[in-house]
Amino acid sequence: MIRPVASSSDAIVLTGAGVTLTGRRVLQDMSLTLSERRIGIIGRNGSGKSTLLRLMAGLIAPDRGQVRVAGLDPAQARKEMLAELGILFQNPDHQILFPTVDEELAFGLIQMGQSRSAAQARVAQHLALHGRSHWQGISVATLSQGQRHWLCLQAVLLMEPRTILLDEPFAGLDLPTQHRLARTFAGLPQRLITITHDPATLRGVDRVLWLEAGQIAADGPPEAVLPRFEAEMIRLGGLDADADLAR
Amino acid sequence: MERSLTHIALFAALIAVLGLVPRVDLATGVPITAQSLGIMLCGTVLGAKRGALAVLLFLLLVALGLPLLSGGRGGLGVFVGPSAGFLVGFPVAAFVAGWVMQRTTLPPFWAAACGAVIGGIGVLYIFGISGMALVLDKSLSEAALLGLAFLPGDVIKAVLAGLLTQAIARARPGALLSRRDAPAA
Amino acid sequence: MLTLTSPVETALHRLRAGPKLAVLAGFTFALFWISAPLWLGFALVAVGGLYLQGGVQFFRHGVAMLRPLWPFVAVVGLWHLWTEDLAAGGVIVLRMLAAVAAANLVTMTTRLSDMIAVLERLARPLAPVLPPRRLALAIALVIRFIPVLTERMGHLAQAWRARSGRRPGWRLIAPAALAALDDAEQVANALRARGGAG
Repeated sequence: MIRPVASSSDAIVLTGAGVTLTGRRVLQDMSLTLSERRIGIIGRNGSGKSTLLRLMAGLIAPDRGQVRVAGLDPAQARKEMLAELGILFQNPDHQILFPTVDEELAFGLIQMGQSRSAAQARVAQHLALHGRSHWQGISVATLSQGQRHWLCLQAVLLMEPRTILLDEPFAGLDLPTQHRLARTFAGLPQRLITITHDPATLRGVDRVLWLEAGQIAADGPPEAVLPRFEAEMIRLGGLDADADLAR
Repeated sequence: MERSLTHIALFAALIAVLGLVPRVDLATGVPITAQSLGIMLCGTVLGAKRGALAVLLFLLLVALGLPLLSGGRGGLGVFVGPSAGFLVGFPVAAFVAGWVMQRTTLPPFWAAACGAVIGGIGVLYIFGISGMALVLDKSLSEAALLGLAFLPGDVIKAVLAGLLTQAIARARPGALLSRRDAPAA
Repeated sequence: MLTLTSPVETALHRLRAGPKLAVLAGFTFALFWISAPLWLGFALVAVGGLYLQGGVQFFRHGVAMLRPLWPFVAVVGLWHLWTEDLAAGGVIVLRMLAAVAAANLVTMTTRLSDMIAVLERLARPLAPVLPPRRLALAIALVIRFIPVLTERMGHLAQAWRARSGRRPGWRLIAPAALAALDDAEQVANALRARGGAG
């Protein structure tokens, strides 16, 4: 049973958090309190979105300031974070760790402390609930791209985190799969934070943050932020090609 | 034909990348390198010939001066030091592990574990201990005593090689080139 | 590509790779026939001198490259202390250090491209069995794919840490190997599309 998303006790709070990677300052000092139910983080490639996601998730630690999720430091309290934060990465093939469907689904549950048999029972129940009992024991390789995306999402949902971070969830999916996924997301009770470069996917969220060069360029409801973002992207698209090297 | 080449090259790269993974210290306190597991997998997954070639290609790059051995070691020096025997033995070990995989009809876990024991311990130690005996100017039995320290870790490694090969076989039934019926291009 | 060639330029950097390797081979061979500690000590000092000639930083780098040998030096030392035959132990250690240091010296003063050129010359007689183009391609592919596989390993490790409080371990090797198999298929197709491996 997922605990209901309270307003501030389980918020993600960044205080002056900055990240430097390989000598480059990727995220400038960020101070944010994220507590809304549907949040979007938009920015073009290289703006620092993925780093921000990893920072919030505790996969990297800030070199300045601090990050707190439900009062805990996500980089330190790894076990507690499993129940607080789930992460859905962009590419299923970079995420799927196990050869069969049930092993992949059961992994998170076992890591959270459930016994193998309890986890397997839960997985079987979950598959049955979604009309996929015949997926039991199936090799992941036989699944289509869309089915793999579904699998990755279910692996996260089974852990019942209070917040889910979604990294470019619609990238590379065909339209029917995108619509299916969007409907699934809309029905989820937990807080969703979506990282994307595509404004169309953020129309219905409560709050949008526009990240540019590691800083917040705008922060507010989608009607306020997205048009400005789109205008800037069009302007940038009118300039010459991106020939600068990273370092 | 291109497939053979790319499989060999990609697995040589995999061995190198596994050298970057820090040593896995198990409860016994004996360190195991992910890299030596990778070398066994070259044999059990690619088969004897391609597996050995992948390891040889890897060693060639180490000799050319790339720091690909775990711990960032490399260059010509490692081929004249006390562990040189093990380096020479690696491709042979991969070959033997692959040979066992290809010849038996045991299920993947057992075939791979046996291959890893016969190749990764039996054959490899013959080369490794001979090398140590040569460089450290000891008799074979004396060098063997030194080699004993690595044994517990290598037994665990054989089990892990079995588990990994089994996982790969289950993930994609056709993945084990060592078990394909028709010879690959 | 990060190699073990030292960025500190020394006189030895300017010598051609072929002669350096030939001298190294002769030197190493000779070392294993000499057993007089005096000569071995002299050999080690000579090698040390060559390092010093490259500057203090170069010398220190050379010493650092010998670090993996210290456990063996310790074992030999203790062994020969036990058998009360330190002289023999000294001979072993001197020879080992001289051989490895000399080999490392060649590695540190030779560029990768020069080593590959020597390799190509040496591999010419093998041409019927192993076309030089295929060998060159194999080497290039490995160097190309090490960073790609490293990045993927990072993604897999991240995906693990997103669902587990424990650090990732040997279990990641399975998806990494599967991904390598997939890459091999895709690259083979790309190669065929561009004329094949010859």
